[in-house]
Amino acid sequence: MTTSATLAAPPQVTAHQMQVARAIAPHLVDTPLAVQIRRLALWIGLSVIFVALSIGVDMTPATFAKGLSKLADFMANMFPPNAAGGEVRILQALAATFAMAVAGTFLGVLGALPLGLVGAKTFVANPALHFLIRRSFDVFRAIPALVWALILIVAFGLGPFGGVIALALTDIPRLAKLYAEAIENCDPRAQEGIRATGGQRRAAIRFGLLPEVLPVMASQSLYMLESNFRNAAILGIVGAGGIGFELEERIRIFAFDQVAWIVIAYVLCVMVLDLVSEKIRSRLVHG
Amino acid sequence: MPQQEAIKAQVIREFEAQRRVTLLRQRTQQVVVLIGFSALIAVCFQVSGFFSGSQGSDPWGRIANLLNIMVPDLKPEALFEDRGTAGSLSSWFYDMPTWLSLLWETVQIAVVATLFGIFCGFWASLLASKNLSPSPVIYWFTRRSLEVIRTLPDLIVALILVAAFGVGPLPGVIAIALGTMASLGKLYSEANEAADMRPVEAVRAVGGSWWAQVRFGVLPQVLPHYASYGLLRLEINVGAAAALGVVGAGGIGIELSRAITYTEFDTYFALLILIIGLIILIDLVSEAIRHRLIGLEASA
Repeated sequence: MTTSATLAAPPQVTAHQMQVARAIAPHLVDTPLAVQIRRLALWIGLSVIFVALSIGVDMTPATFAKGLSKLADFMANMFPPNAAGGEVRILQALAATFAMAVAGTFLGVLGALPLGLVGAKTFVANPALHFLIRRSFDVFRAIPALVWALILIVAFGLGPFGGVIALALTDIPRLAKLYAEAIENCDPRAQEGIRATGGQRRAAIRFGLLPEVLPVMASQSLYMLESNFRNAAILGIVGAGGIGFELEERIRIFAFDQVAWIVIAYVLCVMVLDLVSEKIRSRLVHG
Repeated sequence: MPQQEAIKAQVIREFEAQRRVTLLRQRTQQVVVLIGFSALIAVCFQVSGFFSGSQGSDPWGRIANLLNIMVPDLKPEALFEDRGTAGSLSSWFYDMPTWLSLLWETVQIAVVATLFGIFCGFWASLLASKNLSPSPVIYWFTRRSLEVIRTLPDLIVALILVAAFGVGPLPGVIAIALGTMASLGKLYSEANEAADMRPVEAVRAVGGSWWAQVRFGVLPQVLPHYASYGLLRLEINVGAAAALGVVGAGGIGIELSRAITYTEFDTYFALLILIIGLIILIDLVSEAIRHRLIGLEASA
């Protein structure tokens, strides 16, 4: 800031000076025509693709305007937020959703621990096998929780059981990948030291590996809990109960003042959970 | 000499006593944490209703049964027959043209929403980075708004939007674009804040406007980060778009919930294979683009 005050105003460039500059180094003064055309073509091409795709998904000004006016009505109905006497029920549903998230994360951690070990380069050294295992994590990582929940709830009936399993199945590949990376990034010298003094492989893992990776793993699992609380709210839509069910019910009957109440309560819960979890995570990682 | 020995023994005794106390305290602490943690897990399993009702009985049998009904009855001799023959591949994937067009719609939703989200996220990030924001009030307000939007799951937003815009891909696009904007806005603003401020000051020193400072001072530094975050988000969004149809927001999800409603579990399995294939394809394409971008950066 102080430098800008002391700097003189930029000197005025005369037309003659520009001419000289052009003669010396034309490519620094003007962008070559070929480059200009290429840039223009790129932008036009991208815009055409974007517009074509937008029309493909029905995103035209007309449909937009129609929906927006309805959405404005909904928004107007949201105020003032009102629970219509359902406060206790909604808070119970929030608690159930949180419980689902914890249970799902716990099962996910249990499942991901052995897979994380197997996925680490330091344990499975064969490159082809390592590649195969990590790729399979990537594949399953991409399946959304809702897709698992849809079929599991048919299999196990309506209720949170299927939802919890769906959350766990979503977590396992994600956590396994994170765990494997944590184990790979671990300093091998501590383990080598224990092996060198005659420790068994088990002792090397217990005293060389675990103290280093456990805080990282715990922090990642907490992060997964945060994400699961969001996912658990969704699963109610397909019949896993909890806050998603309450929300869907009220959206169906256009009771938007109650929707607003639930959303505000939910957002507050998520923020509190994120804050607490962030505190714990930073304590875990920085000791 | 014996006196010294006595002192030595005394010191050792004291040290050992102290050590025992410390160890005991540590152990108690560990036990208390362990008990508290187990209690929390147990309460959560109980509250979530995990073990209550008929769902809890014989889970392994149910899983085996589920896998059994998901696997189609393929007959090796009729594998490549036409759709009418029971046990052929094409009778398993019996509605392939519809599914492919729905998969294409899923990709469209993801791509449009990602581009839209990148565009909005870019502008939001300029307002939400400490070093570029025009005023602290705008900075604070943008940050908080992005945080609130990030807490809302995209399917809940889609549910409300479907009620407003009607069944179709548009509510899905808006829902995913909102989420993308909120998360990219945060990541981009972090990239902006990590940018070297000297080029920005140089542009300001020669009289550049705010936009010129951003365009020539910040963007050249952060564009590679922007691109790779955007591509990563595209991969996530394809998965999200595949689920959106369940609430009527377009894409392959509508077939997923139809298969469930008509108890066509082998069809569900087929759709799952298609979705996984699509996601792998998008991953590969996005990885190729990312490597290309890194190569461009290295050669430039």
